[in-house]
Amino acid sequence: MLSKESLTINSLAENFDMSRPAVSKHIKIMYNAGFISITDIGRERYCTLKQDGFSELQNWITYFDSFWKNKLKKLESLLNEKINKK
Amino acid sequence: MNRTIKHTFQYPHSPKVVWEYLTQPELIAQWLMPNDFKAIVGHNFQFKTRPIPNFDFDGNIYCRVLEIIPLKKLVYSWTGGPGDGKINLDSVVSWTLTPKGDSTELHLEHSGLMENINIYNAMNEGWLKNGNKIDELINTAAHGTPKA
Repeated sequence: MLSKESLTINSLAENFDMSRPAVSKHIKIMYNAGFISITDIGRERYCTLKQDGFSELQNWITYFDSFWKNKLKKLESLLNEKINKK
Repeated sequence: MNRTIKHTFQYPHSPKVVWEYLTQPELIAQWLMPNDFKAIVGHNFQFKTRPIPNFDFDGNIYCRVLEIIPLKKLVYSWTGGPGDGKINLDSVVSWTLTPKGDSTELHLEHSGLMENINIYNAMNEGWLKNGNKIDELINTAAHGTPKA
């Protein structure tokens, strides 16, 4: 499993065959997706992997779970109106 | 990882009425979404809704009727994507109706949904390949060993 240790962007860049700007770009995507948190300490940015980020992440399942709940409730109101109109 | 969404609702109406709300386009549109559904196996139809940029979804849901048992079961595929031909949503919606006295129990199963679809869209291939490497590197860096 991924560790909770932090890495600075520079050290990440050193370990990948990638320029620092390229790593920053990927970090930004990961950050926006909720996988990592970023802390500025001194002159460095530290990136920490968020294991929770994987489950909190919005995905089709959480989306459609509420989607269907709402839609089926709406169907319920619609059908109830039908009864009241009789 | 695939998971199935399940919901069951009971409505104080006959299966015939509930079936109408699942199969008549104008009725479906009242609670679900605008559509051009037809209760014919093999019929391709669409639902139209708001796009979700975060999911690379353009708001169009492409469906095909897979199975019909009148008043009892309705199954259709439910697919979508960013609109450029790529499909990142490839699922199946299944409705089952069970009479319960004067009411109908409507059971929904939405299967084939992938979790974390954003991961695959947000990362390019190179990043994915390096995914395992991150694990390795973070452990290495944390313990001060020089890079391999």
